[in-house]
Amino acid sequence: MAYTNASKKAPVGVIGAGSFGTAVANLLAENGPVLLYSRRDEVVDQINKARENGGQSIHPNITGTSDIEGLCERCYLIFPSVPSDNFRSMMREFAPYLRPDHIMIHTTKGFDIQLEEGQTLLDKSLKIAPSDIVTMSKVIIQESNVRRVGCMSGPNLARELANLQPAATVIASRFDEVIREGEYAIRSRRFQAYGSHDIFGVELAGVLKNTMALAAGALGGMGYGQNAMAFLIARGLGEIIKFGNALGADKSAFMGIAGIGDLVATCTSPLSRNYTVGMRLAKGESLEHILDTSTEVAEGLKTVNICKKVSDRIGLRLPIISTTYRVLFEGMNAREALSFLMDYRWATDVDFM
Amino acid sequence: MLEPVIPNVRDWPIARIARQQDKILQEVLTETLQQIQRQNPKSGAMRSLVAKAVYQERIRIKNDAWKVDPEDDPAFWSKIKKKLSNSDPSIIDKDEAAKIELEMLRDIIRRYGAEIINNFDPKIYWFAQQTLPHFFGRLLNASGGSIKGIFKPKVLLKDKLFVTGPVEKIRHLSTKGTIILVPTHFSNLDSVMIGFGMDMIGLPAFQYGAGLNLFNSRLFGYFMGNLGAYKLDRRKKNPIYIETLKAYSRVNVYNGAHTIFFPGGTRSRNGAIEKDLKLGLLGTVIEAQRMHYENNPPSLAPKIFILPLTVSYHFVLEASSLIEEHLKRTGKEQFLLPDDQFQNWKSILKFFWELFGASSEITLSFSEPMDIFGNEVDDEGNSIDRFGKPLEAHKYFVTKGQIKQDSQRDMEYTRMLGDIILEKFHAANTVYSSHMVSFVAFELMKKRFQDPDIFTVLRMPEEDREIPWDDFVFACNRVRDEIFRLNNINKIKIAAHMSWDMEDIIEHGIRNVGMYHGTIPIERNKEGNITSKDMKLLYYYHNRLDGYGLHKCI
Repeated sequence: MAYTNASKKAPVGVIGAGSFGTAVANLLAENGPVLLYSRRDEVVDQINKARENGGQSIHPNITGTSDIEGLCERCYLIFPSVPSDNFRSMMREFAPYLRPDHIMIHTTKGFDIQLEEGQTLLDKSLKIAPSDIVTMSKVIIQESNVRRVGCMSGPNLARELANLQPAATVIASRFDEVIREGEYAIRSRRFQAYGSHDIFGVELAGVLKNTMALAAGALGGMGYGQNAMAFLIARGLGEIIKFGNALGADKSAFMGIAGIGDLVATCTSPLSRNYTVGMRLAKGESLEHILDTSTEVAEGLKTVNICKKVSDRIGLRLPIISTTYRVLFEGMNAREALSFLMDYRWATDVDFM
Repeated sequence: MLEPVIPNVRDWPIARIARQQDKILQEVLTETLQQIQRQNPKSGAMRSLVAKAVYQERIRIKNDAWKVDPEDDPAFWSKIKKKLSNSDPSIIDKDEAAKIELEMLRDIIRRYGAEIINNFDPKIYWFAQQTLPHFFGRLLNASGGSIKGIFKPKVLLKDKLFVTGPVEKIRHLSTKGTIILVPTHFSNLDSVMIGFGMDMIGLPAFQYGAGLNLFNSRLFGYFMGNLGAYKLDRRKKNPIYIETLKAYSRVNVYNGAHTIFFPGGTRSRNGAIEKDLKLGLLGTVIEAQRMHYENNPPSLAPKIFILPLTVSYHFVLEASSLIEEHLKRTGKEQFLLPDDQFQNWKSILKFFWELFGASSEITLSFSEPMDIFGNEVDDEGNSIDRFGKPLEAHKYFVTKGQIKQDSQRDMEYTRMLGDIILEKFHAANTVYSSHMVSFVAFELMKKRFQDPDIFTVLRMPEEDREIPWDDFVFACNRVRDEIFRLNNINKIKIAAHMSWDMEDIIEHGIRNVGMYHGTIPIERNKEGNITSKDMKLLYYYHNRLDGYGLHKCI
C-alpha cells in the first residue's frame, strides 16, 4: 500500500490557491512539505516558478499542483480552502480519490445551499428553511467517504498572515484526532491554535460574522467612528447568536476566538473583503460595479441573503441583517438604513444569553 | 417458514460460545482489568473505584434487594469492605496493598461476569421452539370463539407476524459475519416477537441483554437465560460493573455472537420512535470491529453487520402505563403510576388472545444491513460507499497508514452510527390505519387551541373532543396523500391495508387501536362523529407518526 510509506513528513494538502489558501499553505509550510492545489495550470506555474501568488511569496516547502489524484494519494491531511459556491463541485471532483483515512479541515466561511434548477438566491419569492442550508463540514461528509472532518476559523486576515504577523485560530472537530493533527500541522511561533469540539458552532460563528462585516464597512464608509462601530459589534453579536441558536448551535462558540474574535477583526479592518464591499457601497458605488471589479469572493453577500430568507421563514427578527439585505438587494441607501436602525426599538441590552 | 440457515442448533454461534463460558469469562476479566487500568492510571484511583462499588452495592443490598440477588451478596461485599480497610497503603506495604487491590478488583469483576453471562442451552431452545408456537397457535384458535379450537392448530403465529426486508441477504450475511440487530422498542413483547420473527426466517438465536428484574420470576428467568438472554442490572451503576458489562458485550460480539441491542435503552415512553439512543453498548460493537481489523489483514478480518429493525404494532399492551410515565417525567402531571401491565401473566395472555382474535397484525421490517459505519454492504458483506463503489472500511481506523486505537474516535463513530440507525428507524416505520386515525384525531383536537401546550390538549373536556365525520375523513385523506408521497421517496413504509377505501381504513384503525385498552382512545359516537375517551392513549398512538411533518397537512 503506497500510503503506508508516507513518512512522518507526508505533505499536507491545501485545496485552493486563493489568497487565504495560499496564506494557510505558507503557515503549514513552516512545519513541513505542502502540496498547494489549483485547478489552473498558470497559477501552479506561478507558484512553482515565480514562487509568488497574488502578492504573497511562496515558502520553499510548498509545491504547486493540479493533480488531484496525486495530492490525495500523498496527503492524509487536507485543508480545503475554496469559496462556498464552488465547494460542493470541488468535493465531487476530489471524492473518487478520497479515502476513509483522510482528514479534512476546511477554512470556508460560507453556507452551502442546493437550489432547484432555474432558481437563484436573488429570487425574492424563494423561501429557505433552516434544513436547506448546510455548512462545509456537512458537504464533505455528504460528498465523500471522509468522516474525520474539522474546520479552521478565527480572526485570520490573509494579508496579515502573509505579512508574518501573529494570530490565533480555532480548529474545531468532533474528533480529538482531527484537532490534534490540525494543531500539529499548523501551529507555529506566530500562529496559535485552540481546539473545540463544537464544530457546528465554530462554523456558524465564522459564516455569520461576515454579515456584520458588510454593515461595519458601510459605517466606516459613511465616516463614523468607534462608538458606532462598538454599537454595531455588540448588537451584531447578539443577532448572530440568536440566528445560530435558531439553527441549533450552542452559544458558547460565539464567545471565543472564532466568534467575537473574528467579529472584531473583520468589522474593524479595511483588509476584510466583506468590510470593503460595505464601505464601497456606502460611498455610493453600485453592487454590480463592486462585484465586477473585485477579484475575491465576499461570502457575506450570499450569507446575508440566506439569513434574511431563513429568518423570514422561521419568524425571527434580525434588524441589522435584514436592513443590510435591503441595502444590498433592494436599493436602500446606507444612510436610510442607519436611520432606520437608530429608530428601531431595542428593548433590552443583553437579550441573547 | 424458512429452513434454518444452520440446521443443527449446537452449531449456532451462541451455542458454540455457551460451551466456552470459562474462556469468555477469562477474556472479560482480562479486558475489563485492562480497560480500568487504562482509564485510571493515577495511584489510588483503583482503590477509590473499589470503595465506590462497595459503598453503592451495600446501599443497593439494604434499600433495593431483589429476589434474584444471590444470598451471599451481603457477605461478599462485607468481605471486600474488610479487605479494603485492611489494605490501606498508609498502614501496610505499598506493593502488598496494590496486590490486594488487584485481587479485590478481580473478585468483583468475576462476580459481575458470572452474573451477566447467558447460559444458552440448545435443548431448552429446541423445546421452546417446538412448543411455544403451538401453544400460541392453539390459543389463537380458541380465541376465535370456540374453546374446542384449542385442539385444532389452524392459524399460527406466523400468520399474524409479517417480516419484510432483504431476508435472503440477511440469512446469507449471518454466515459471513456477526449480525447486530438494533430494533425499535415499544413493548416488552418485542423480544418475544423478534425471537419468533428470527426463527421464522431461519436465523440462529441471538443473544440479548434483559433487565435482571425479569429474572425475579424463576420460571421466566429460567427460559430467558437458556434462550440467550444475558443479564443487565440497571441498579448497578458503578464503573467496575459498567466496564464488565461492556467487556462482556465486546468479547461476545468479537467471538461472533449475533446480538440484539435495543439502542433506545428502554421502551419508548411516549409512543414515538426513538429520538436519541443509548450508545454505550453499541460502542462495544465498533470496538470489536476495530479489534478484528487490528488482529487480521483487512480482507480476512471478520465483519460485523448492523441490522436496524422497526417493529410495528397496532396497539401496545403497556401503552397507558408508558404514557403516564412519560407525562409524569415531563413534569406536569401528578399521577400515581398504575402497575406496569407486564407484571401480570393474565394481561400478557389477554394480549395474545386479542392479537389472535381480531384481525390484528405485527410487522417486523428489516432495513438493509450496513457495516458499522452505516455503509451499505453487498451480498457478500463487502462495504459499498454511497457512490456504489467498494470501500476499504478498515481505513476509518487508520491514522497515517496504521490502525490505531483511539477511544474518542470510536465514540464519535458510535454517535454517527446512532444517527444513521435513527434515520433507518424512521424510514422503516410502517404506517398502520390505527396510527393514522390516532394522529389525525389528536392533531384536529389540538388545532382547536391557540396555545399548543400538550397538557392543555390532554385535559380537554370530553364534550369538546367531538370531530365531525366529514372533517375527519377530509384530514385523513390529506395525511394519507402525504404518507404516500413520503413512501415514494423511501421516507416511511405503509401497511397494505392503507390502500383500501378511506372509510374502511378508518373503521379498521379505530377497531384496532382500541381493542385492548380498557378506555377507548378513539371511537365513532352515535352521531357518527369521532371522539376520544382517553386523550393520553390517543396521544401515545399519535406520537408514532411524529417527526414526519404530517401536521402540516391538517
